[in-house]
Amino acid sequence: MHTPSFVDRYRQKFEGGPVYPPRIGDATFIILDTETTGLDVKKDYIISYGSIKVKNYAISISSARHYFLKQKKVGREAIKIHQIINVENALSLRDFVKLFLDDIENAIIVGHHIHFDIAMLEKAVRPLGLKKLLNARLDTRKLAIRLEMGKHAGHQFIPARDYGLDALCRRYHIPLDDRHTAAGDAFLTAQLFLKLLKKAKQKGITTMHDLMT
Amino acid sequence: MANVIVNRVKEYLKQYPPFSFLSEELLQTVASEVEIIYFAKGEYLFRTGETAKNHFYVLKEGAVVLTEDDGQGEPVPVAYCDEGDVFGVRALLGRRSYVLDALADEDSLVYAIPTPVFKRILTENNRVNQYFAAGFASGQVVVKRDLSGAELATTGFSGKTDQRGLAIFSGQSDLHFSGDVLSCAVHETVGQAARMMSERKVGSIVIVDKQGYPRGVITDKDLRNKVIAADKSYSTPVKEIMSSPVITLDEKADFATLYLTMINHRVHHLILTEDGSDQSKVIGIVSDHDLLLSQGNSPAVIIKALLGSDSVNELVRLRDKAELLLEYYLENEVSIPFITNVITEINDIIIQKACELAQAKHATDYPGVHNLKFCFLSLGSEGRQEQLLRTDMDNALIYEDPPDPKADRARAYFQALAREVVSILARCGFQHCPAGMMASNPRWCQPLSAWKDCFGDWIKTPDEKALLHASIFFDFRPVHGDASLAEQLGHHITTMIENNELFLNFLAKNALLNSPPLGFFRNLMVEKSGRHRHKFDIKRRAMMPLVDAARLLVLGHGIIDITNTRKRYEKLADLEPNQAELFLEAGKAYEIFMRLRALEGLKAHDSGRYIDPDSLGKLQRQLLKNAFYPIHELQRIIRVRFQLDLLGI
Repeated sequence: MHTPSFVDRYRQKFEGGPVYPPRIGDATFIILDTETTGLDVKKDYIISYGSIKVKNYAISISSARHYFLKQKKVGREAIKIHQIINVENALSLRDFVKLFLDDIENAIIVGHHIHFDIAMLEKAVRPLGLKKLLNARLDTRKLAIRLEMGKHAGHQFIPARDYGLDALCRRYHIPLDDRHTAAGDAFLTAQLFLKLLKKAKQKGITTMHDLMT
Repeated sequence: MANVIVNRVKEYLKQYPPFSFLSEELLQTVASEVEIIYFAKGEYLFRTGETAKNHFYVLKEGAVVLTEDDGQGEPVPVAYCDEGDVFGVRALLGRRSYVLDALADEDSLVYAIPTPVFKRILTENNRVNQYFAAGFASGQVVVKRDLSGAELATTGFSGKTDQRGLAIFSGQSDLHFSGDVLSCAVHETVGQAARMMSERKVGSIVIVDKQGYPRGVITDKDLRNKVIAADKSYSTPVKEIMSSPVITLDEKADFATLYLTMINHRVHHLILTEDGSDQSKVIGIVSDHDLLLSQGNSPAVIIKALLGSDSVNELVRLRDKAELLLEYYLENEVSIPFITNVITEINDIIIQKACELAQAKHATDYPGVHNLKFCFLSLGSEGRQEQLLRTDMDNALIYEDPPDPKADRARAYFQALAREVVSILARCGFQHCPAGMMASNPRWCQPLSAWKDCFGDWIKTPDEKALLHASIFFDFRPVHGDASLAEQLGHHITTMIENNELFLNFLAKNALLNSPPLGFFRNLMVEKSGRHRHKFDIKRRAMMPLVDAARLLVLGHGIIDITNTRKRYEKLADLEPNQAELFLEAGKAYEIFMRLRALEGLKAHDSGRYIDPDSLGKLQRQLLKNAFYPIHELQRIIRVRFQLDLLGI
């Protein structure tokens, strides 16, 4: 099947060579969040997407992105949660995927419960001929648990509600602004990630290898 | 670009000057370029000598301390940054490297603002420009937003600054001094010097000796007044007409130093030399004109005008002008030592002028006694060089002991003189002291011997009234006339105190009368009755305890000639190194209170003494909380040192 050039461009980023540099300070992380019509990957789809990058232990505001996708029909439930209806400047799926892939390149994808966002994003890129996202990924929830409870903490001892985004933000003194907008949540998660990275550094984790495994 | 995120950053920055001066559009541009960096406690943001980064910082969360090396490898804190403070602006000033270390004192989140975008703003936005200039002109390393708050800064002086139209973002970087200094040898003639000045089209020439060390300066004005008008030959050697000695500084001197040196020495030119003394080579010259150009609206202009004025109306007008300057400085967070220095200088000149005008008026009526030496003293806050607002005047006059037969006439003359001075000062807006502690009161206009007896009585019999007087009169400072009279009085006082040790114990008891407001934050201690009910008396609760403690402790060391509270604490820090930190903190705390009181006073058009706790922001409260700490500690030390519990007094 013929794939658009931006998909090829994206694939090329992963040809040969390590996916990430050896040192955390040299790696580019993209912290992202999606707002969706619901929680069912099969039925639901992305309404909006927000992301921001962290490099060398700093968040750069200029890297922030916030996209809205054109909707065929919007579920009532989602409107209730996100208060999003069709907005101006909403992108077609194709335009969104192009912007998205050109922006993330081979950065490490970071997010809270990131597997869900990745599943939703993969559903979005699939019609354009890309089966899987190739980026390395890191879950802030898992990272927080690892840093606070240790690497081998048993699941049964981890109180789920202590590791939600709200709870973590409160614990790390991050004001809960713009919650439940894709960009707002991405920004909160980025601030959380920045603090977690520093905590990791204090524990001697400075290489990507140590961070990712 | 994601507007939600940029807006979030924008909304944060907008709260604080200088960002509060920017248009929405500009702020948007700035916000979208910000980087957010997190530093763990103990990490350095930058180190001395490091190349200045391409951004400066706003502290979003946490605490950062700026330190410098004490010369022995130990870091000494220079400034503490709180949330909203701006620091690390070397790059913005066009400097290549940092001169301080910035250490995260707690885990800290900072916004890094890129300098290129901000530099453009500086050239375009007058307000921002002035905000920075005011801060850096005074040698500040952190642009504090602590007590002025965004609200004041945005509304407080609108309409005034925009009209000034000055490009004063000079700080240190835009002050151009001439490095190519025209000079000639001491034995050259005036004619030759004038020719050289004419060829080079400059208004001054430095006279140097064989080694190239500066010996004097000749200006256009000297040629006019001392040569042509004086009908001197052009072959007169330059050394006969040069102004000498010259005042020298080194090229590292910052704006504030240059400024104050010129003001204090009343000179128009400063010579920059290699090591800053007049025993080294000349490397540049700075004129007051250069400085004024770089500063625009300046106290130097007011002081110059004051020195040249000879009518009371003129003094009144200029003092009102100084008040505007004060307002501007306070709102723009110029450092308190700088402001007090300038305002004290202005007030002192007014007093000197008032004395001269009064002398001119009355001297002829009192032949035979008008030549007696006298000294006009400022007391209380003016004596401590701490008066910002024109609060009550407290002053006194000492004159030399006249021979007996002339005693009555001398008294009459000096009383007339003092009455005149006080009335001029009143016209200049200084209020009469309700307790009558003014030179116009015959009790406080006395010959030296009477003053010695007076202080002697207070020291020997420290009753309530004596202690009240002590708290005002012990902070005397000679402002006009023969300072040796004040010195003799000071010497007498220290000897008296040595011989009457118990006096200090009584003074100590008095210093503890005003306790700081315990439980300030649980429940602010406010006045319980009267007109100022529910308000907090910052003078009595916060400032007086610090002033009283400083006075007591330096007197305990036999020091009477330092009256300024901050300087007293600095001296104490020198004398008692193991308590140095506390003393320095106390000095800083005092300045915080001074600023708050002055701002409050300007807002309410009164002395600013009573503060409504509800009007304080959260950060102001935080700042006050920190500032109260040294008071408790000092009072504890006083209690132990003067054995108040044992003596039972």
